[in-house]
Amino acid sequence: MSLILRFLKISGRQWRWMSAGIILGVLVIAANSLLMAISGWFIASMAVSGVTGASFNYFFPSATIRFLAIARTVGRYAERLVTHEATFRILAELRVWLFKKLIPLTPASLERYSGGDVTGRLRADIDAMETLYLRIIAPMATGVVSMVGGVVFIACFSLSSATAMFLFLLLTGVGLPLLVGRFSEAPGKRSALLAADLRNRVTDGIQGLEELVLLGAVERQAAFVDDLSSDLIDEQQRLAGINGFSIAGMVFFAGSAVAAVLVTAGTEVAALQVSPPNLVMLLLFSAAIFESVGQLPPALNLFPAVRESSARIFELSDAPIPVPDAALITSMPVDNAIRFTNVSASYLAGSGVLHDFSLTVPPGGSVVLTGGSGAGKSLLLEVLLRFRNYQGSVTVGGAEITALPKESLLKLIAAVPQRPHLFNGSIRDNILLGNPSASDELLRSAVYDSCLESWIDGLPDGLDTQVGLNGSAVSGGEGRRIALARALVKNAPILLLDEPTESLDLQTELELVSRLKQRFRNLPGCTIMVVSHRPACLFLGDLTIRITSVPCNIP
Amino acid sequence: MSDHSEQSSDDSVHSGKGAERWLFEEAREVRGLLFSVVGLAVAIGVLIVFQARLLATACQALVIDGAAVDAILPLAAVLVLLAAGRALCTYIMENRSAAAAARVKRAVRSRLYRKIQLLGSAGLAGGETGSLVETVTKGVDELEHYFTRFLPQLVLAAILPFMFLIIIVPSEWRSGLVLLFSAPCIPLFMILIGRGSEKLHRRQWSKLSRMAGHLLDLVAGLPDLVISGAAKREAEVVAKVSDDYRSATMTVLRVAFLSAFTLEFFATVGTAVVAVIIGFRLLSGELPLGEGLFVLLMAPEFYLPLRNLGLSYHSRMQGVAAAERISPLLGKVAPAGFSGTLLPAPGAPAITFESVSFRYGGERGGVRNVDFTLPSGSVTALVGESGAGKTTFARLLVGLARPESGRILVNGQDLTLLDAESWRSSIAWVSQSPYFTAGTLRENLTLGRPDADDDEIAAAIRAAAADQFINKMSGGLDTVLGDRGAGLSGGELRRLALARAYLSPATLIVLDEPTAGLDAESEKLVCDALHNLASGRTLLVISHREQTLSRADRVAEMVDGRIDRIITPHEFLSPVAGLV
Repeated sequence: MSLILRFLKISGRQWRWMSAGIILGVLVIAANSLLMAISGWFIASMAVSGVTGASFNYFFPSATIRFLAIARTVGRYAERLVTHEATFRILAELRVWLFKKLIPLTPASLERYSGGDVTGRLRADIDAMETLYLRIIAPMATGVVSMVGGVVFIACFSLSSATAMFLFLLLTGVGLPLLVGRFSEAPGKRSALLAADLRNRVTDGIQGLEELVLLGAVERQAAFVDDLSSDLIDEQQRLAGINGFSIAGMVFFAGSAVAAVLVTAGTEVAALQVSPPNLVMLLLFSAAIFESVGQLPPALNLFPAVRESSARIFELSDAPIPVPDAALITSMPVDNAIRFTNVSASYLAGSGVLHDFSLTVPPGGSVVLTGGSGAGKSLLLEVLLRFRNYQGSVTVGGAEITALPKESLLKLIAAVPQRPHLFNGSIRDNILLGNPSASDELLRSAVYDSCLESWIDGLPDGLDTQVGLNGSAVSGGEGRRIALARALVKNAPILLLDEPTESLDLQTELELVSRLKQRFRNLPGCTIMVVSHRPACLFLGDLTIRITSVPCNIP
Repeated sequence: MSDHSEQSSDDSVHSGKGAERWLFEEAREVRGLLFSVVGLAVAIGVLIVFQARLLATACQALVIDGAAVDAILPLAAVLVLLAAGRALCTYIMENRSAAAAARVKRAVRSRLYRKIQLLGSAGLAGGETGSLVETVTKGVDELEHYFTRFLPQLVLAAILPFMFLIIIVPSEWRSGLVLLFSAPCIPLFMILIGRGSEKLHRRQWSKLSRMAGHLLDLVAGLPDLVISGAAKREAEVVAKVSDDYRSATMTVLRVAFLSAFTLEFFATVGTAVVAVIIGFRLLSGELPLGEGLFVLLMAPEFYLPLRNLGLSYHSRMQGVAAAERISPLLGKVAPAGFSGTLLPAPGAPAITFESVSFRYGGERGGVRNVDFTLPSGSVTALVGESGAGKTTFARLLVGLARPESGRILVNGQDLTLLDAESWRSSIAWVSQSPYFTAGTLRENLTLGRPDADDDEIAAAIRAAAADQFINKMSGGLDTVLGDRGAGLSGGELRRLALARAYLSPATLIVLDEPTAGLDAESEKLVCDALHNLASGRTLLVISHREQTLSRADRVAEMVDGRIDRIITPHEFLSPVAGLV
């Protein structure tokens, strides 16, 4: 419940569309039920008149029937449009909300979301949450309102029938879903686990196919996949069976409810408490109302899965901000010198560790940091980017970096991270991300200094070539150079490069180093820090610092 | 860009027909179950007729004949029994259709995965690993509702309305005529409206998944957005993309919902007209209430199968979309493996490429007219830019791909004349991200030689310089590795893969970038292991790391699918040495 409240709070701006959808839903159900009710009453009255010869004004009821028939049809069309409009508006709100929430969490709290499997789950979770209104809230609200309204309508004519209907509606709309939820909990969980297992196993099998073939283990792997698939399908079949039980229960209750109304209202007809045509009306009305309550069980069945998905999203968005931001500038950098004084820092996982590290890079100075993996070279750059917390003091131009809002600090820094990400767009989009208003001249020089120009010139679409999802259409070395160009085009006074020449062949690496060297010579004011274990990169700095890992515990 | 999407959506409409044909063929495998589903649905239809008849009779008794309640109690009891019967049939029917879907999914997934193995080992599966995985897992699951919902509804929409009509006509032929003439309008209008919207609908689906992909892409690259100062800017893009999507989708939905509107319109108006006709016949006393009410109750039931068919449209779309990805894979022909019977000679093989060419049909990554020899027991490093054909060369070497022209000789014998099984068992392949299954270290090490004893394993581990970190693990050889070797560093995993190669009976070993991404210390350990592995074996190492290259006997450089030159490691590395 608190989940729904939270959801409503986030998408609250769309309350008009949401309530309009629900109201239209109720109107459609009302029109449909009344259509059946009045048709029943109408023909029963006509029959009674036919038998008794009494006159009957049929103009009004037949006009009402025509009106309700059109109201129902048009209403249903409008309802579907409005609920979908609401859903898409909510979707936009949710996406922007989530994205804004995630920005300050990056990267420390998002690291576990980097793998393909987890991204897939995030996607599924968002999808599930987006249907909360359309598949759960709207049908539940209209279902409950029409259930109550229906019982009240029946009670106006026959209390005993209303009581009977109320009981059957309760059984169908609440009792049955609860029971079914109970049954399907265990197989639901098992099938989710098996599906994840199967996905991992298939991924392994496809990625490691060459090895499996040469190890003669292909058939074994296929048998393993068959077993998992079979177990998964068994659970899915069990769930389908439970769903069948739920549908069957609904059919039974609906049939029985009509029989019950027949007896209760029939008794009152015999006792002359209910006029005979009203009996027919109540019977047809009851049957129609049951149809609308039929939308409650599917909505309630969906709820557990959506709750899990939303809970995961809220857990993510509620994560404490790993590196708190400064609200105001309390100290202004005077230049682009960087000074680390007794800095200690660690990754959350605790693998790489910096201990009591001190270093001063003067304005316009350049330093290459080298050392074994896990010594904390990259960590040092991430501290400077405010991705990690630290102890000790880190200043840029004399200002402690915690005293600067991240946004102002990052205006001073351009960086190529350890694993740069390419966005699904053109090469140009990816480079200009660093500086959308860069001049052609600046773009050209960044491309040239990243050793991309001859490759790009050879592409039929040039800079407009699409890089594919996660840069799948370009090689690792090309992607890294695109990220380098992105950093260069930003033209910031501080440049941080993490392994700029990784996955390049030797010739390209040497060419790149010499072009960068030339660029730095032409831009003497820029402060540069390079992390690399490649010998060629040592040329990029005035100074080389070797960091060795010192095991220690940071409280 | 827009031209592209236009093109591809047209293509998918065309292949949609092939996919649907494939789905029908799969359905044939479970036709027994599907027929029983239809049979049960017809039985339910019969029960519905009885329910309506009983209810109408009871009303006639109470309203017109003024019967006492006692007289209708048995009718009410039978109504409950009928409801129970309908419930039972429904339950069995749902289970049957689930069983049919389960059988299809099980068979298709098994066939599909094996086909991908077959195609993939020949390098022909195509597509990203991710999308193949998606097809095997979710794609197969999405076939379900095509078989449980759409197919039965398709048959029922053809059977049930006629059945009901035949029952209605004797009671009230005028109403029967109204139903008869309104019914064909429904499919007609639905087809007219559906034609246009189907194409739009498809395009919309692909847009939806592109939009979801956009957000995930941004989330995956958030650190880069923050560094570039673009995070806030992109939040606005997220809002704009979602909003554009909304207005585009609503335009489509306004048309798409029209088909449901038509359906409802005819069904509702049909029912209302029937009610009015019956009313006047009742008023004139030509028809008893029981008959009239029965027809009125049956009128919505007459339209229901058609409405259900309309509702199952989404199930059909989903199933066809999945089939569009599955059936082309199943339909691809895997090349025949080589079928020779000769056994490769023992000992390190000498291998000769004689003007070998192989192209995937694409521009990048093929090899052209390669003449090259790997002497027995040599260590050859293969270098070249990405896309120069190194991996294709390696795949040809181990027989995962067959030359399109030219031939490959193993100790003077044509590779295609060798017995595939025994040739493969004499090869080990160490990839950049070696395959590890979730199991113990021992299971993973002995994948290629299940009979290896502890001494042999220990020797292999030492040779691969993996003893140090393995000894540190609490469970030793029985330590359970996580998925894909989670818990070990890249260098450790590669040394384990080397130990596995060392342990196997392989005499030809191909290593694809065994040291990429490792720091200098790990690289040295891996290179030592490589050195140990080299004795008595022929090695091909794809690499561009100088330390790794310096251990090779010679370096072959590939440019554009050709072996450009063969030089010593010293010659290759000297420009770097000069700079350092």
